Amino acid sequence: MCLAAFLVGCQQGGPKPKAEDIILSKPGLMPSAILEITDEPGHWFKDPIDGDSLVVIKPGQAVMLKMTAETRTEHTITSLLWPSNASGFPVDQEKPSSVSVTTAFDQPGLYVFTCKVHPYVFGAVVVDDPKTEGLDIGSEMQLVTGAKVPTTSDIAKKLLRTYFVATTPALWRDYSKPTWNVALPDIPLNLAGNTISLSALSFSAPNKAFNPAVPGIGEVWVDTQFEIIDGKTKAGSATQVDATTWSIKKKVKGVDINMNHPHNMWTDSQYKNIYQTEWFDKRLTTFDRETGQVLSTVDVGESPSHVLTRPTDDSLYVAINAGESVVKLSGGDRPSVLSAINTGPHTSPHGHYITENGKLMVTPNALASSVSVVNLDSEEVVEIPTGGVIPIAVWGNPEGTRAYVANLLGTPPALLSSMSVIDLDKKIKITDINLAEDYNPITGKVTGEAYGLLPIQTPVSPDGKYVVTANTLSASITIVDTASNKVVKSLPCEPGCHGAHFGLKKGGGYYAYVASKFANDLIIIDMDKLEIAGRVVLADSNDSTISANNGMGGQGVLPLPLAEKSRLQRTRGLLGSGKLTPEVERWLKQATKSQIGGI
Amino acid sequence: MTKQVRKKRFWLLYIVMVFGLVNCLQSSPVWAMKSGETHVITLKASNLPSGQLAYQMASHKIKSKYGRIRDVTDRYPQGPTVPGPTIIMTEGDVAEITLEHDIEGSTLPVSLHVHGVHYKIKDDGTVKAMNGIVDSAAFPGKPYTYRWEAASGTAGTWPYHDHTFGNPMLGAEDKGLYGAVIVNPSSMEVTALIDGEIVDVDLDDVKREFVLWMHETTFWGAEINHILDGQQIPLWSNPTIGARLGELIRFHVIGIGTAFHTFHLHGHRWLEHGTSSVVDTVNIGPISRKTFVVEAGEGVGPGAWHYHCHVLQHMQSGMMGKFRVLE
Repeated sequence: MCLAAFLVGCQQGGPKPKAEDIILSKPGLMPSAILEITDEPGHWFKDPIDGDSLVVIKPGQAVMLKMTAETRTEHTITSLLWPSNASGFPVDQEKPSSVSVTTAFDQPGLYVFTCKVHPYVFGAVVVDDPKTEGLDIGSEMQLVTGAKVPTTSDIAKKLLRTYFVATTPALWRDYSKPTWNVALPDIPLNLAGNTISLSALSFSAPNKAFNPAVPGIGEVWVDTQFEIIDGKTKAGSATQVDATTWSIKKKVKGVDINMNHPHNMWTDSQYKNIYQTEWFDKRLTTFDRETGQVLSTVDVGESPSHVLTRPTDDSLYVAINAGESVVKLSGGDRPSVLSAINTGPHTSPHGHYITENGKLMVTPNALASSVSVVNLDSEEVVEIPTGGVIPIAVWGNPEGTRAYVANLLGTPPALLSSMSVIDLDKKIKITDINLAEDYNPITGKVTGEAYGLLPIQTPVSPDGKYVVTANTLSASITIVDTASNKVVKSLPCEPGCHGAHFGLKKGGGYYAYVASKFANDLIIIDMDKLEIAGRVVLADSNDSTISANNGMGGQGVLPLPLAEKSRLQRTRGLLGSGKLTPEVERWLKQATKSQIGGI
Repeated sequence: MTKQVRKKRFWLLYIVMVFGLVNCLQSSPVWAMKSGETHVITLKASNLPSGQLAYQMASHKIKSKYGRIRDVTDRYPQGPTVPGPTIIMTEGDVAEITLEHDIEGSTLPVSLHVHGVHYKIKDDGTVKAMNGIVDSAAFPGKPYTYRWEAASGTAGTWPYHDHTFGNPMLGAEDKGLYGAVIVNPSSMEVTALIDGEIVDVDLDDVKREFVLWMHETTFWGAEINHILDGQQIPLWSNPTIGARLGELIRFHVIGIGTAFHTFHLHGHRWLEHGTSSVVDTVNIGPISRKTFVVEAGEGVGPGAWHYHCHVLQHMQSGMMGKFRVLE
């Protein structure tokens, strides 16, 4: 026997040890699903298996939320909402980075993630207990603001519907079709033990575009940020609309430079150059307003969001949304970086404002719940805490004494939706305006005009009377009377209502122009009547190089002539100098005395 | 018993003894460590349920220079893993690795590009447009065989990864297609700091090896357990690794992706490779790697010793785990 064993082989002596006694390591999480962060409109969090922005897992499983090289800027991975009894939540990256997250989910329900820098970037995980009927949405969801709401509430359903619309380009509102159909699939959802079909959130509405009866003066540029264009891998164009005929003059696509998510624009005092931020990139691009030719690009920092000129010298100020600064550049057709103004730790400034006298700049600090007021001569910075969550855009009155800050996620705990009013002389917050005072988030009942949820761009009319705010969740436009700090009007907008600014109405008065991310129309509001005067389509159906999302992604809005009085006066000062094109001279001469104002 | 019969018995016994001795030596782990072996391997590039891509060991046979073949496939996990299987060779060995394309729903080429060992240009694991010779990659139904030579001087721990899938410049290492090759020195000895002394450690005395990949903000790990005859245990993300007090443990820490890291293990010190410098933290960049031996709990005793990346943002994102040292 011994010989037999010897012949078979001289194996190690003794019984083979049991693996469970020997292996002392414990495996970590193995992701059951992945959501990859991309630059692809609608699919910013993307399941590599089916391309959806939603994955379904079982309790106890993990998901990897993965940054990829497919996005050329930095983001945060942040819980927007989650079941209030979930362990280990919220996930919230303090500052933008290229850092991925793998996390486990213990409680059934809906978990939605976003990026605090690009806060319409949505991805969702549904943790579904196979033992229950329907897909588990949970009983109570907690919002990032701290608020807890039943999943059966109106606000919860709004969030759910908005999530599906935002992440499904086929559900975006296309004005080239007669009807907007939000047809959601018949998937059973379990809300607090009650099963309903997702299709119950479906709806449809007629699409009716129409031109204003009274023309505007000049033109309007709209960043159609989600257009997919042949010849480049990154989305977006800038669409130029004639404010007299309301037809599209051209689209600047930046194919040669692979222009990436053009977000917001401004111009110089001669209206020669358009300065264009590329929000999902690092660049400021300059193109010729008349020809659309790209003149230069310059790297300015992560996720440049908004750009403005200083009225006194045409120097440029670009907010670095995934950073902590506003970069100052020389003007002209080849801007170069002069300096960076630090706005404070973790500020992530987004849609800033420069007073008409050029003395102050105000930044809404998206990640710091504050605004920074910068003296542009001394570059001294005063940071003012506001308590608002993701202050995202700011504008001020003509005198430069008041600023109005849209807080995307309100001012907890009291205000679901808010705008902070800042005294720029005293550098203090005066008050918060409740933009959703007349909305019941549980029942959905709206009892008055104050109905604006998730406010974004918020310009002040050049006469200082009103603040017009684009509200993305409620798809509404709220108008605040600056005398009373009350919402006096609420108008219907579009899904993803986002960008707004004022232009000149022919014969006097102003139009407010409002663009929406998930629709392809530009809304025109007559500020004399506080009514919608028209809806102009931003899609160009004759342009075969636009392969998808035609006219979609409306964000930055730049009406020309610039309607702010001191800026208008400065450009009018160039009349007859030969520095302005005949077209611009013609526009400026159409302005009324009231629009121009006293010098 | 006649003299002739005794002589026959002597020769019979002699033949049995020689046969048995050869058999014994060939099947022992000591013998297995000797160089000059050929590793005949079949790897698959597959999908995980999450959509991650991963390599999977389908077959690993080791052919000795005397022609004996050992099948060691059961040392590996049965499915695809991240990181992929760790291939262990010795200086002087050769590997013939056939890669099979098993990525569902894709016809894109997938490859093996290896670092450190010798190979011909046809085995570069890149597309023809890059190497000028051949698409050095597997396609669906069309496997590709690579030949790696663990030549003298290639001892060390090296990465292998895809270099063609989706993007010929980058490949799909970022999606999970990566693994390690450990080339042991022919001497089977490495230098280590043990009980405060710089000594040569016999690799036969190493009980466990931990392969830790630092990718973005996550450790992806695997254990090679020599008590269990080289069994490889997938440890996935940010695992707890474990050992007995006093065991010799070899770490292989490798970077992948774009981030730079600083690997730190609490309570333990080791030698910076090729120096007498004692460290407890090492820099890890993309595809750079550090290998070192420690004695578990040396001087500090048992405990749940933290290991982590020391880049603050990575720590905040959970890039950490425990080194559990038990009595």
